[in-house]
Amino acid sequence: MEDTKDKNNFLRIFYTYRPILLVLPALILFIIFFIIPVLSMFVLAFDKPVTGVLDLQGKWTLKSFLRIYNRSLYFDAAVTSVSLAALASFITLIIGYPLAYLIAKTENVARNTFLMILVLCAMQLDMVIRLFGLMVLMGDNGLINGALMYFNIIEKPIGLMYNKLGVLVGLVQFSLPFMVLSLIGIIRGISPAVVEASRSLGASPNQAFWKIIIPLSMPGILAGTLLVFAISISSYIVPALMGGWKVMVMPLHVYQQIAEMGKWQFGSAIAVVLFCTSLLSVIVYQRVAIRIGGGRA
Amino acid sequence: MSKAKIREVNELGTLVKIGSGIALAILLIPVFIVVLTGLNSGDHLTFPPEGISLRWIFAFFRSEEFLSAFLFSFGLALITMTLSTIFGTLAAIFITRFSFPGSQLLRALFLSPLILPGIVLGLALYIFYVSTDIGLARSYPGMVIAHMLVTMPYVIGTVSASLFNFDLNLEQAARSLGASPLKAFRKVTLPNISNGVMAGSVFAFIVSFGQFDVSLFMATPNNTPLPIALYWSLRYTFEPTAAAAGIFAIALVITSMLITSKLVNLQKFSGVKFD
Repeated sequence: MEDTKDKNNFLRIFYTYRPILLVLPALILFIIFFIIPVLSMFVLAFDKPVTGVLDLQGKWTLKSFLRIYNRSLYFDAAVTSVSLAALASFITLIIGYPLAYLIAKTENVARNTFLMILVLCAMQLDMVIRLFGLMVLMGDNGLINGALMYFNIIEKPIGLMYNKLGVLVGLVQFSLPFMVLSLIGIIRGISPAVVEASRSLGASPNQAFWKIIIPLSMPGILAGTLLVFAISISSYIVPALMGGWKVMVMPLHVYQQIAEMGKWQFGSAIAVVLFCTSLLSVIVYQRVAIRIGGGRA
Repeated sequence: MSKAKIREVNELGTLVKIGSGIALAILLIPVFIVVLTGLNSGDHLTFPPEGISLRWIFAFFRSEEFLSAFLFSFGLALITMTLSTIFGTLAAIFITRFSFPGSQLLRALFLSPLILPGIVLGLALYIFYVSTDIGLARSYPGMVIAHMLVTMPYVIGTVSASLFNFDLNLEQAARSLGASPLKAFRKVTLPNISNGVMAGSVFAFIVSFGQFDVSLFMATPNNTPLPIALYWSLRYTFEPTAAAAGIFAIALVITSMLITSKLVNLQKFSGVKFD
């Protein structure tokens, strides 16, 4: 009697909680290979920095973080990272808005799908390949310099690449699709009735644009700008190739400290600073996105 | 061109058209240049271009470096796609079907690799692999795990979206007609969300194929994905062979986006960063 009851109980619990089996594989993977590694990297960043030592020593200190703050090499890299990402967000907004507007207002399904496919292809294509194209365009022996010299406009190549300008152009190319996609939804959501109402009350098309459409797209503008900031500041490949290691930003230092110098604790500390800067803008982004999309951004 | 469309285009204004042109140029010119470089007949692309030939395409097929990296990335993306689709679809069903305390937190956890800088995730995993010494550091399974983490959010995002749109009453009708839960799911729900599942797996494939950041700390001379191989070669020269490899990658991306556009409504698709 007792046995069957126990067995039934067990089966009942098994059937009640069976759905958990669905999520278990993914959850275990994420706990072991995502939560634990990221947390251990945080812990490592607060351990005593010793070159070549990865094992946990348990000597907690803020030394690595103070070093980032005090050494101009690293502090400047943080400043460069933030300012390049901020500038890239601004330029991307100016360039991305008209395209987002065009796509949002194109009602022809085939044309709309075509434009969306172009943007998505540009976004999904491996960044290294896109940078190959940019580098052939902007290098000293590249197409722009080649064309300018061919038509005798300049005598020797002008430096378009391996400097901050190159990194900036790369970041804009990299993040433009993200900006466009963040804006399309919100622009499409603006009711044409509101714009027509302003027009019938005597506003010029220009006034309607600046006083009605732009303020109503503000949530999308904020969301897109913050998203672009977050992905630009995290990019390793763009400054590495377009800056030719002459424009030092945080992701480059992370790689250098770990892979080339074996400074595990210090490298982790830079990664933590990078992560927190990017997280901060993402948190603000999500607040904005939830407010504008009712939770479905 | 219909009258309505002409009016629509006129209303957009010249500025919008010029601006859109600039944006599209910035997006697409680098891609065209890669294609041109891969098809040009000179030793590198110059202005004006010398001519068109297939010599770099053939060079790519003979190249030990790029062909093997291309095939490596292709295989890695297939394995990642398969595993991510299975793990991610199951997890998405659980998150959308069962609400429990903390279900939002679980959803946020599964989508968080999207917001974590790739290089930070790569570093965290590398530290974990090296310090635990369980044989994953610079190994193939270690790389697959890293790629699964960055591709699963896309699967979970697209599958949850299609589950949200699915009318649960249909499945309940099947249940009330005597189908077992599993059968009702397999025969009714799955066919209805299959487009979302397939779109998610296409995204998983292409994100893995083009993945640079998390692969950076994982790559070895034996395990070199295409983006890493291209990166190492780009640091020194602009090899047209690399551009020829790029042409095939471009073709792959265009194909997968065309497939995606058949599977899901791109007009409702407003971002890849799912919240």
